[in-house]
Amino acid sequence: MGKDLISGLGDGARSNRRAAKVAESQYRMVRFENVGMRYGVGPEVLSDIDFSLKPGSFHFLTGPSGAGKTSLLRLMYLAHRPSRGRIGMFGRNITKLKRRALPALRRRIGVVFQDFRLLDHLTALENVALPLRIAGARKDEIEKHVSELLDWVGLEKQIHARPPTLSDGEKQRVAIARAVIGRPSLLLADEPTGNIDPDQGLRILRLFDELNKIGTTVLIATHDRGLVSRFGRPELHLEEGALTFRPGLVADVPNETAKGAPTTPEPAATPKASTAKTA
Amino acid sequence: MAQKYDLFFRQAASGRFVPLIIGAMVYLAALALAGSMAIGQVIETWSEDLRGTLTVQIPAGDPAAGGASAQINSALSILLETPGVDWAEPVPVDDINSLLRPWFGEAGVPDDLPLPALIEVQLLPGAELDAAKLGQHLDQAVPDAILFDNGAWLQHLVRFARSVQWVAGIVVALVGGTAIAIIVFATRAGLSVHRRTIELLHTIGAKDGYIARQFQYHSLRLGFAGGILGLAIATVTLIVLAILAEQAGAGMLPKMSLTWEHLIVLGILPVASALIATLTARAIVMRALREMP
Repeated sequence: MGKDLISGLGDGARSNRRAAKVAESQYRMVRFENVGMRYGVGPEVLSDIDFSLKPGSFHFLTGPSGAGKTSLLRLMYLAHRPSRGRIGMFGRNITKLKRRALPALRRRIGVVFQDFRLLDHLTALENVALPLRIAGARKDEIEKHVSELLDWVGLEKQIHARPPTLSDGEKQRVAIARAVIGRPSLLLADEPTGNIDPDQGLRILRLFDELNKIGTTVLIATHDRGLVSRFGRPELHLEEGALTFRPGLVADVPNETAKGAPTTPEPAATPKASTAKTA
Repeated sequence: MAQKYDLFFRQAASGRFVPLIIGAMVYLAALALAGSMAIGQVIETWSEDLRGTLTVQIPAGDPAAGGASAQINSALSILLETPGVDWAEPVPVDDINSLLRPWFGEAGVPDDLPLPALIEVQLLPGAELDAAKLGQHLDQAVPDAILFDNGAWLQHLVRFARSVQWVAGIVVALVGGTAIAIIVFATRAGLSVHRRTIELLHTIGAKDGYIARQFQYHSLRLGFAGGILGLAIATVTLIVLAILAEQAGAGMLPKMSLTWEHLIVLGILPVASALIATLTARAIVMRALREMP
């Protein structure tokens, strides 16, 4: 990863941390209070969800398929409104926010999907540049940052490749680069290793870990128990309607770049009595 | 980095069929507008030529007895004494023959054919004249003389021409409505096809306006391409029709022509179709996006 980029991301993350600390007393980075969620007029898929995430924390969101992990993430990346309860993010009560205020908040959240969601007609560079273009960044600024970021994820030779010509692991790295190009305070990933082989999955997780070390709050939904235990980060476990907290087991990360790195952030999830129902 | 659409519109069938349909709509609108404007031009010409004029027809006299000159003089004196008449002059025989030539061909009017004499009468501007009373007066002095009130005759023609213009206007409105419906359909289909990409763009912080612009520019291109296509075919059609009219009915058909102003109006059609497509797409997309989280 380029030093400038890392420091740039770090600066953004530090200022985000400062802002988040101010708001922490009320909402922290993420705070769910008695949140319920339903799709349309269907039954609640999430009920009475209570938890909060501290800035700079790293958690896994685990649970079997259909437990509501994706629904919980959709609430967090503001793709869905809760049917009840209160969600605080970045110190703001988002349940009361008007729709036109959401894009600015969404730009502070990076999202990585299991199916990558890259635009096949755009090159890797153009895909990664998309958030900056949307935010109205200058062309020269876009090209500089995107090239550095693709270099960081190891795709410096494929910057002009289109997604159909990339392997799944490479696609996911492009997706990660796109998720973090806007220096998000919060990085959410929905089964990011679900479609790639274990070695690539480990490489992806190391990228998340690096981002976390520079202050990005990370939450990764996965049902890969092996990956969770290998990284030893705390878990929010969603199963049979209940959200439980499991502290991390291993403090260090199986990643050479992590040697000598700052101590893994303290477990920040503070779930109360919580439940989550499957659809 | 080249600016590209975030939404991959080439996947959509709309890129192929919408310009063709818009082209057909613009073609019909161009023909209707051209017809309407040409008729308007004819009305204008007739009105200028015939406003405040009368025509008196004197039956052909016996050539052996000096023709109808006595009746013509008698009618002229009555006309010139009538208040409101500016001037009155017999129409030269050559002019009458020219008017009749389309019916008789190049051989011209036979010399032995008895032709009525015509007197052209111009009224003073704003003059109020009782044509019926004047007609009776003429009939008493010159038996079988007929007075044609060109203004009254013109009114019937103008009324008919205006009706044709209204029909043309309705055609243009229907064509415009149909074009809007096509854009609405294509835009909704595009929203459905690109729903996941739209969700992604929202997720990475795109505002509704950014997404709507993607559809707007796409519709603008389709609308303009269709407009150019339709106008090009309409132009060829009008040129062919003008040539055929010139060949088939020179002199018998009223001379229809388009001024530069009319051509500019027709030239605006592709711009109008692009504008309608753009605004329609924006309205549909913004409305649909407001329903999304």
